[in-house]
Amino acid sequence: MRNFESISPQQFTGGPEKKETIMENSEVSQTEQQPKRKRTIVKTIVVLAVFALLIVALDLALYPCTFIRSDIHAISTTQYDDIIVGDSHGKMNIDPDSMEEITGRSGHNVCVGGEYGIDAYYLVKLAAEKQNPTRVIYEISPGYFVTEKEEGNNYLLFYHEFPLSLSKVEYFFDAIAQTNFRTVLFPWYEYSLSYEIPLIADTLTHKLTGDYSIDSETSTSQIYHESGFIERYAVDTATLQLTEPILYEEGAIVEENMEYLKKTIEFCRENGIEFVAVTTPIPAATLGTWWDSYTAAWEYFESFFEEEGVTYLNFNTDYYFSFSHEIEDYTDYDGHMNGDAAREFSKVLAELLTTVEG
Amino acid sequence: MSLVSNQFLLLAGASLLVYYLAPARVRWAVLLLFSYIYYIMGGIRLTGYLLFSTIVTFAAARLIAYFYEKGYEPKKAKWVLVPALLLNLGMLCFLKYTGFLLDNVNALFHTSLRGMDLVLPLGLSFYTFQSSGYLLDVYWKRIEAEKNPLKYALFVSFFPQLMQGPIGRYSLLAHQLYEPHSLKRENLVRGAERMLWGFFKKMVIADWAVVFVDAIFDTPDLYQGVALFGAIFYMIELYADFSGAMDVVIGLSQMFGITLEENFRRPFFATSMSDFWHRWHITLGNWMKEYLFYPVSLSGWMAKFSKWAKKTFGRKTGRVLPIALADIIVFLAVGVWHGPQWKYVVYGLYNGLIIGTSELLAGQYREWKKALHITGKERWYFAFMLIRTMFLTLTRMYFDRADSVRAALSMMKSTLTSFQPAVLLTIPAGRDGLSFTPYALLIIVCGCVVLFTVEVLQERGIRIRESLAKLPLPATAAVYFLLLLSIGLFGSTAAVKGFIYAQF
Repeated sequence: MRNFESISPQQFTGGPEKKETIMENSEVSQTEQQPKRKRTIVKTIVVLAVFALLIVALDLALYPCTFIRSDIHAISTTQYDDIIVGDSHGKMNIDPDSMEEITGRSGHNVCVGGEYGIDAYYLVKLAAEKQNPTRVIYEISPGYFVTEKEEGNNYLLFYHEFPLSLSKVEYFFDAIAQTNFRTVLFPWYEYSLSYEIPLIADTLTHKLTGDYSIDSETSTSQIYHESGFIERYAVDTATLQLTEPILYEEGAIVEENMEYLKKTIEFCRENGIEFVAVTTPIPAATLGTWWDSYTAAWEYFESFFEEEGVTYLNFNTDYYFSFSHEIEDYTDYDGHMNGDAAREFSKVLAELLTTVEG
Repeated sequence: MSLVSNQFLLLAGASLLVYYLAPARVRWAVLLLFSYIYYIMGGIRLTGYLLFSTIVTFAAARLIAYFYEKGYEPKKAKWVLVPALLLNLGMLCFLKYTGFLLDNVNALFHTSLRGMDLVLPLGLSFYTFQSSGYLLDVYWKRIEAEKNPLKYALFVSFFPQLMQGPIGRYSLLAHQLYEPHSLKRENLVRGAERMLWGFFKKMVIADWAVVFVDAIFDTPDLYQGVALFGAIFYMIELYADFSGAMDVVIGLSQMFGITLEENFRRPFFATSMSDFWHRWHITLGNWMKEYLFYPVSLSGWMAKFSKWAKKTFGRKTGRVLPIALADIIVFLAVGVWHGPQWKYVVYGLYNGLIIGTSELLAGQYREWKKALHITGKERWYFAFMLIRTMFLTLTRMYFDRADSVRAALSMMKSTLTSFQPAVLLTIPAGRDGLSFTPYALLIIVCGCVVLFTVEVLQERGIRIRESLAKLPLPATAAVYFLLLLSIGLFGSTAAVKGFIYAQF
């Protein structure tokens, strides 16, 4: 038969504590406890401080200096009229210096492959918090609105370089808080040690001397400019392969991406910052191969920006003939231009922006 | 909210701070507040189920207590107990198994019935079991019904254990939650150490193992030659993931001064399947034993069955047969608890049949051992028992992880017919892909060596954290910093996966 007798909790644990003390030791007098407690607190603080120091030192040595570090430093410390956000198409196709030649407006390009709506939103907020940009040029690639941002160094790429600011705090709670704790303690974990270790001396020199130059970023295929523009060297286009880009699909839009686009527009509106959306030209062969998908994407975004009441310059529809779609001007079928073409395109864009303004 | 997220650690830190700063009499309320904040952060709509379970079981327990106070027969209390259990467990069954049931009805009768698209609330299985256990304990007069609904709400929702357990028993847990705990350095340090160990298990071992597990089980045709490794890695992943989560949960609770029941006790040192289940997911096993095994084995129909069995099979077998049958029923329930799929039914039956059969053949085993002059103290025999249990556990893993029973059987066949360990090196591992695969495998092996060493020491009764605490402070601190650093250095760079049992 089952035992129906009540079981008191005390049987299991020896009962609740009778008294409440901070550090319990009934045999030690209060006066003896004080110095011991102090010692314990001091020891704990020392251990935690050493832990923190080691974590900071590791971050200093192992987190590499990326061009985004220079870009974010630039928009936080220098006044620019135009801030250009977007992905790799924006980075390689829009040259702020060439635009300045036409418009007389200074600008900085903070686009980068992997920059999603959430990142662009906080970059714009940071720029507005630290300086007074008057226009945001948002480069739109449909593929970035049908895919989800993955946890990892794409967040850290931006967040890690943000100076202490309200935008950084907000960005943390919006994105970094949900990621695993290594993003805070060991942000370098997303980079390979075989990549980080040979760079340690250079990384330390850059960080300790406050050097934000980007000379070391130049490679055999591209050159980085102080304006944030990446100039790609021309390639032999005859050898290029047509590969399928990330395509827009009806119903596949990731709501979060659109939410942040809307928030950016709203933020600009509230802060008196002009917002212009731009889709840079795509090679004709690519457009032709995936015509239906691109047409659907252009319709979606044109209708969205119309509803939002902002200017949308799409170089694949209304402004198709404003710039070349020949593959010779590009370095791939995805639509990344070579340096000369990008400079030329930036002037066309600047002219158009002046006309639109006018 | 994952236990390894910044969000969780911030919430844990804030709750500890507020808890110890709050006046002693309201500390339990601080825990309740943070428990609901935690749950609401996972989705406010799903909080309704938690509230429903809390309200139904609290009210029913109060009513049962009222009946007992008035001197009514337990039969009357049963009129309250049964509907309350049906509502509570019914909610779990409805949310978890409706789709499964309809799929099978559709398959059998060629219908196209569609259920509602229901989202499974986080931690549903855990808090439903915890609250149902409480209700039964009140009914059986093992405990007194809680009078304060908010205090009871805390017992059901205590946030560290809400998502993955351990499933708490009111008699062991409730008073710890309600009484104010004072700040003790030892609790904070030991708790943090335990959490750190859990993070190591999850992020260094489980999160690397899952890379290989997912590749092998999700594309079995591609990796036929390493099906065995799929099962081995899954066993490693499952243990490191679940026991790692328990370390985090128990460690955080310890920081509040609350001792939760252990859920694992070095299961791979088990010498039989029965022993294994006394060491693996212990609180679920205890729950099943208390609230299913005993009621089933002591029920009237089981007594009748026992009588019939004794008459038919003789006294010895007749006595053991009902126990074996109860075991099969319990493990079937354990299997079904894991999820609404046939593979879990097979998983449960597999365990139940092995344990049930072992009980039936226990006498036979004794005779064989006697005939072979095995005393049971021989080292080789101990090793044999360990390996045998390991083999049986490993076989179970195919059903647990494969997409279906058919897939599990097909992978078992591959294990026996095709063995090409080199294929393992063709599985891309994390951010660096194929170039990192050998290193990822090395990390898993080294992680397992560390884990195994720790468990051997624990099995021998050595209390590692206590021993480390006796070292000079810089040495202790260095050990724990290295453990923390190893998570940064060797933690998985693959897409971060949630804890497996957080989906139950």
